[in-house]
Amino acid sequence: MIRNLQRSLPGVPWVAPAVLLLLTLTIYPLIYSVKVSLTGPAGFSLAHYARLVQDRFFLQALTQTLLYTAVALSIEFVLGFALALLIDSLAHGRGFFRAGLLAPMLLPPVVVAVIWRLIYNPQFGVLNGMLRGFGVNTSALTWTSGEGSALASVILVDVWEWTPFLFLLLSAGLQALPQEPLEAARLDGASAWQMFRDIVLPMLKPVIVLAILLRAMDLLRIFDQIFILTQGGPGFATETVSLYIYRTAFRFFNFGYAAAMSFLGLALTVAFARSLMKVMRVAR
Amino acid sequence: MRACWCVVAMMVLAGCGNEPPALTIAINAGVEGDALKAAAAEWGARNRTRVDIVELPYANLFEKELLDLTSRTGAYDIIMMDDPWFPRMAENGQLAPLEKQPDADFLTSCLDVCREPYSTGAFYALPYVGNSQLFFYRKDLFDKHGMAAPATWSEVLAAGKKIGAAEKMFGYVMRAAPGNAVITDFMPLFWAFGAEMFDSSGRASVASPEAIECVRFMLELGKYSPPGYTGFNADEVSGHLLQSTAVMSINWPAWIAAMDDPARSKVVGKIAFTQVPSAGRKGVAELGAWLLAIPAGSKNKARAADFLFWATTPEQMKEAALRGNPPTRRSVFLDPELRARFRAFPAQLASLETARPRPRTPLWNEIENAFGIRISQANAGSISPQEALQRANQEIEAIVQRAK
Amino acid sequence: MRAAVKYALALVALAVAVAPVYWLVTISIKHDIDQFAVPPLWFRFQPTARHYVEIFGDGNLARSLWNSTFVASVSTMLAMLLGVPAAYGLERLRWPQDWSRKIGFWILSTRMLPPIVTIVPLFLMLRGIGLLNSRLGLILIYTTFNLPFVVWMMQGFFHEVPRELEEAAMMDGDSRMGALVRVVLPVTKPGLAATAVFCLIVAWNEFLFALILTQTSASTTLPVAIASRVTQYEIKWGAMSAAGVVAMVPVLVFAGMAQRYLVRGLSLGGVKG
Repeated sequence: MIRNLQRSLPGVPWVAPAVLLLLTLTIYPLIYSVKVSLTGPAGFSLAHYARLVQDRFFLQALTQTLLYTAVALSIEFVLGFALALLIDSLAHGRGFFRAGLLAPMLLPPVVVAVIWRLIYNPQFGVLNGMLRGFGVNTSALTWTSGEGSALASVILVDVWEWTPFLFLLLSAGLQALPQEPLEAARLDGASAWQMFRDIVLPMLKPVIVLAILLRAMDLLRIFDQIFILTQGGPGFATETVSLYIYRTAFRFFNFGYAAAMSFLGLALTVAFARSLMKVMRVAR
Repeated sequence: MRACWCVVAMMVLAGCGNEPPALTIAINAGVEGDALKAAAAEWGARNRTRVDIVELPYANLFEKELLDLTSRTGAYDIIMMDDPWFPRMAENGQLAPLEKQPDADFLTSCLDVCREPYSTGAFYALPYVGNSQLFFYRKDLFDKHGMAAPATWSEVLAAGKKIGAAEKMFGYVMRAAPGNAVITDFMPLFWAFGAEMFDSSGRASVASPEAIECVRFMLELGKYSPPGYTGFNADEVSGHLLQSTAVMSINWPAWIAAMDDPARSKVVGKIAFTQVPSAGRKGVAELGAWLLAIPAGSKNKARAADFLFWATTPEQMKEAALRGNPPTRRSVFLDPELRARFRAFPAQLASLETARPRPRTPLWNEIENAFGIRISQANAGSISPQEALQRANQEIEAIVQRAK
Repeated sequence: MRAAVKYALALVALAVAVAPVYWLVTISIKHDIDQFAVPPLWFRFQPTARHYVEIFGDGNLARSLWNSTFVASVSTMLAMLLGVPAAYGLERLRWPQDWSRKIGFWILSTRMLPPIVTIVPLFLMLRGIGLLNSRLGLILIYTTFNLPFVVWMMQGFFHEVPRELEEAAMMDGDSRMGALVRVVLPVTKPGLAATAVFCLIVAWNEFLFALILTQTSASTTLPVAIASRVTQYEIKWGAMSAAGVVAMVPVLVFAGMAQRYLVRGLSLGGVKG
């Protein structure tokens, strides 16, 4: 029988170890999480999911996560694309610039958070230090420790850290573009903008979709940097869904509710990914 | 491929030969933990064993310890905890009971929070750091304006207005960053106004008329506080005192040393320390003791108990006091050498003797979080005091109900 | 003229990307008194190594540096050892209908699970088998983290290799495994390098799982050790920065060495999706 299987499915032994490991380390956790999310004090209950609907803190965390994702993603995409076009159009030193520009995304997120604490600290940070050097009164510039400015400040960190990722993917996409259509258009007297809009953009579409998708998925579960920079504070100003889940699970020790929130988050992420793919397919 | 496996095997083997330490202690990263760290090093040297220190920031310390306790991993032999965490940590037999009763030299207020149930039950911890709030004020300026130390909150407000205007300073500074910070500064005010978080039947009662009056008063006080105080934590509050930009505040004893340190302070010798002011009721300070306990899952309980009792002997506690920790023993507070060195000791002892702990509930972290966000919002002006307290009341009640 | 503007813009972007990193390095080698000078000192200051001496003084950071190195390298090797054959099997061997695509997609989809969903049950699982607070536990977790990525990337690379190569080798009497090792892998070396470097970086940088699953210096990795130094009240800037530099240098060195492959690897494995 085994020999039979071997003949009809020769790939199984190659794939089995990896699949088995992944199965054990993902299926059990998944089942466990579903179970605790559906367990109340007296057995089966939908209480955790019912609570989601009326939890104002969760709603706020969700709104902030979406805002964070939308703003960071737009800025990173535009900047990353502009940089990719800029570097691609240089005659010399492309490799040099590319290497330098990639540095932020390679750093451990913890180190990124440490760096920005050195920069943002209202009293001792280099940012306010430089501004004071220019004679600016910095007493109101509290960056991550001000309730009004904290979210914008952590978004800025994200932009610094992850624009390189979009730059990298889009650069690679630009490099892989076939040259003939561009040459032909140039001979036809098309302007740079026309060429970009009518040729480059459509041809890059798969790369763009992929880049946005990958980045959005990471943004929707943003955790590390905010955890170290602000722990979601001041107050609730930079609380995202992941942080709120973390707080619920490990500070309030309510695993069931944390799991329920995670599944809602997962559902939203998947829905977002699907609709993005659909939109892109229709546009194509 | 084969080379790869060899390297993997070698590294796995190399990773195994690590002798476990005799004792592993989880401590708070900060002043309170530093003294314990030094004590642990000394104990290790005396007993010729390795003591492993796990130093964690305040919030993460709670998470790590509770995770260890609830799942009995036995990773830590001694844990250092803030006293409001105790009811949560002592649940379900997660802490090992002490074999010996602590002696009567420890202050009762500090011992009470080491018992489960509160003040009557068995002992599961020993108090290591005797923190309780003090009222910090600029004695030089009060003298200059012919005013006595404020005994009531209305005197605080009046002095804040007068001295603040005359000296171009902020009359009062408080921390109102949501969460632990704002609640810490709010509780003594709340209690002085006669409000209580829970009524006699255990239901949330934070929206009482006394509580509303109290938040209104807090907003009034806020008018004389620096802009942005709704985002302040302990360091910002202390910064304003140190830089001589604020006249009064409530603070922890840990900051006393900084006030008299010429390298950091512009107000050396100018600040005096007194008891928390009264209002309808007599003012009481909030207790913020740090306790040491042994997890039930520890594999070195006997050794841990040995260290625990050794580190809290009068001699060792005096050492800790010299390293900057407020003691929890009366005899150490009365030690002449220490009294000569720490001028706030009499005030600290008086405050600590009457200090009141935060409500003893395993849900405190979650309650404090919800309450803190609302009180902070009221201070920021985004909702009215009444609305803030009503929402907080609903949320606290929901937290309590959910746990039932 | 236009070229000059372009280079100027590129330089500005480069400065914005690199200056914060440079600032971290300067703080780590500045005396305390120079750290907060106004205006900030970017170049002229007396360097010192004392923060580095300090952080390695108590042995805890050195231990977590070793933990990180150990965990990152072993988990990368494991992920490659399991993932490369899987990728090859999916890409080259016969599967009924579109099983190969489906299995590949399932493997990839395990990466979409939010870590927060799996972390509590994983904690309980590791505790059950006595691997909590151990490097081996982290290695297992990081291996599953990186496996989908390895499979996905390597499938792309294997796809590029002409089938005739290994068929020729098998005609000469090699087994499939022999053909893979002797013929296919050498051709895909750049892809292997890029994939391995990526796994290394992911494992080296990972924070959340290490935060929850490690408890003492026996297993604490570098990111967790650094995070625990970032206290709210008293910030030891020099020591914190020095620890940051220690965590950052290996990643940059690695990425620098594999840079040629990195962009290529990504543009193949990543962009083709």
